[in-house]
Amino acid sequence: MNDHSATLEQPAYLRFEPNRDAVPDTATQLSIRHLNFFYGRAQALHEVNLEIKANAVTAIIGPSGCGKSTLLRSVNRIYELYPDQRAEGEILVDGRNVLDKRYPLSDLRRKVGMVFQKPTPFASSIRNNVAFALSYYEKLSKAEVADRVEDALRQAALWDEVKDKLNQSALGLSGGQQQRLCIARTIAVRPEILLLDEATSALDPISTAKIEELIHELRERFTIMIVTHNMQQAARVSQRTAFFHLGELIEFGKTRDIFTNPRVQRTQDYITGRFG
Amino acid sequence: MTGSRVLQRKVVDAVALVFAGAATLFGLFWLFWILWTTLQNGIGALNPALFTQMTPPPGSEGGLLNAFYGSAMMILLAVAIGAPVGLAAGTYLAEHGRYTRLGAVVSFLNDVLLSAPSIVIGLFVYEMVVASMGHFSGYAGALALAMILLPVIVRTSDEALRIVPDQMREAAFALGIPRWKVTSQILFKAALSAIVTGVLLGIARIAGETAPLLFTALSNQFWTSSLNEPLANLPVVIFQYAMSPYDEWHELAWAGAFMLTLFVLGLNIAVRLIVRRRKRS
Amino acid sequence: MQQPREHTLKAFDEDLDRLRAQIAQMGGLAEHAIGEAMRCLIQRDVDGAMAVVQNDGKLDELEVEAERRVVQLIALRAPMAGDLREAVAALKISGVVERIGDYAKNIARRVPLLEDSSQLEPLSLLPEMARIATQMVHDVLDAFVRRDPEAAVRVVERDQAVDDFYDSIFRTLLTFMMERPQTIGQSAHLLFVAKNLERVGDHATNIAEMVYYAATGEHVAEHKKKAP
Repeated sequence: MNDHSATLEQPAYLRFEPNRDAVPDTATQLSIRHLNFFYGRAQALHEVNLEIKANAVTAIIGPSGCGKSTLLRSVNRIYELYPDQRAEGEILVDGRNVLDKRYPLSDLRRKVGMVFQKPTPFASSIRNNVAFALSYYEKLSKAEVADRVEDALRQAALWDEVKDKLNQSALGLSGGQQQRLCIARTIAVRPEILLLDEATSALDPISTAKIEELIHELRERFTIMIVTHNMQQAARVSQRTAFFHLGELIEFGKTRDIFTNPRVQRTQDYITGRFG
Repeated sequence: MTGSRVLQRKVVDAVALVFAGAATLFGLFWLFWILWTTLQNGIGALNPALFTQMTPPPGSEGGLLNAFYGSAMMILLAVAIGAPVGLAAGTYLAEHGRYTRLGAVVSFLNDVLLSAPSIVIGLFVYEMVVASMGHFSGYAGALALAMILLPVIVRTSDEALRIVPDQMREAAFALGIPRWKVTSQILFKAALSAIVTGVLLGIARIAGETAPLLFTALSNQFWTSSLNEPLANLPVVIFQYAMSPYDEWHELAWAGAFMLTLFVLGLNIAVRLIVRRRKRS
Repeated sequence: MQQPREHTLKAFDEDLDRLRAQIAQMGGLAEHAIGEAMRCLIQRDVDGAMAVVQNDGKLDELEVEAERRVVQLIALRAPMAGDLREAVAALKISGVVERIGDYAKNIARRVPLLEDSSQLEPLSLLPEMARIATQMVHDVLDAFVRRDPEAAVRVVERDQAVDDFYDSIFRTLLTFMMERPQTIGQSAHLLFVAKNLERVGDHATNIAEMVYYAATGEHVAEHKKKAP
């Protein structure tokens, strides 16, 4: 280093940084390996292998019946509610296979939160909706519960709208507010992974935009998997995208590559609107 | 062409409207006739004494206090027995036994019980309870009513829980909450008005049951607060007094029938209100 | 990914077809303008040259129209992947073709200034250079319409021939000017004509790279890296 280096240094606006918007390569949060899923005799997923990165949004896209929702439902084993559904293979979280029956369900579901297509507020007050699962997992004082409820509602960008009516019924909220309440309820127990199954498909564009903005913010703290029919939404909110067709993972990559230059013809056909 | 078609549609519309209106009036006509007849014949006995005095001996004045009391006690006891058991069974069918063979069997047996003639149930309780105890009793009557109420509540609570969308269940389970807590704190709350509706409809059903009480509670001319003795009750008193040759008794029977009709009507209106409120929310 | 299947939404295909047809039409006009300007230059047809200058306005209008079409396509059809690359390529190509039209206009403007330059020797080389450059424009737009990346690569390779012509004409004119200083003015004009034609070749190359990217999603440089 000599004295000239300082004067020779280019001003910031001249510096070319081609990788400024590169997708950060975070750690793997979730490893899906050889996942097969069955509804009775019908196989809905075939040998799916997928690595979900931490603190990033992974979008799952594909036509109806391609298995994208099934994939999410495998991660928190919600399919176990129905006796004829079963998953084979491995889903590793922190090195442990959560599909193993010995993995406690309440541990898994505390770690993996899920928000569904239709808002499902419980027939109770706004406060109770958020505090419900919280008080099951943790022994908290009233003041602590109040703090956590406020915290969760703030994270879900709902606090300002409901802070004066926490004791009112959650059923009185609008659809978009109800859905954000469901997100608040889910993140109140501080999960690591958030599964969003078509979480905005029943909402108007403004509510949808609010939730997309929320997804952007929540990415800092959670690993998010989102299933969506809306490809523009997948493009807007995700860093990586997986395309499924007929129960198979067809292509998985960075969202910007999938949407500008997919490698597989079937992906190209789907995202450009050429599916029969 | 189009003009005649429009005319034709209008005619069909008008005819359909007239028939529908006539059918409605036909149904309402009987309801009001029943109310009117019972009121007209019973008006002489519709006075405070009806609710304050006992059933009288022939030829004297009196009321139906003991019959009201007996009916109320037996219905309450029947609900106290039938509602928890029915709710538990309905919950089993909707939440646990939904995909199991046992659930299907229980559901079928419940349907059989639901359609069993009430007199058969009366005879059954007579044989099991009255015959073995050696006397008629309010307990036996309440038990018979509970057995009629039970399948109604099983069916309605099963249905009430089934119409709670699966998404609600999934959302609750996805939070990692155990099943008993999901059922008791989320599903019951979501299904509450439907369950209450079922209980009220069940009460309306047993309020007028006469046949099973003839074999079980029988009736009692005198006041008793004990359920271990034969107990006066509205349907049987109405039956006995209406069959009697005495005018005072006839009048009391009519008044009792009017009150019973009014009670059932009131329950049905309550159910309507609950259902309407549920639809609004 | 040549000749993809039809879109589920037929109107989308129609929009893309019309856009492609318009770009092809613009290419035809630019090609014709260069050819006409060169013919007028050789034949001293001042009136024809003025017509070329006038007709350039048509190309400008078409460029505005192409931009409108692309913006509409993006707004209304939300194209993705290959479709999006094609729409963006169409937008850029229309701009480049308009520039090619400007070069034709520039050549045509010099025709009145070169009325007595028949004795200038490089004039014999220019028509051949113009023929190669316009053929490149023709072929590259053909490649765009057919979504043929290989044809686009072949156009890129031909740019060297145009550059060689330019170098040769440059040296010839330089020698000429040194020998006969009184022709410096006219020779300079001819040098500009040659430079314009060389730029047309460069632009055809640029278009070829756009066509290649639109069709494959990769840049030609990446393709060359993989090839050897």
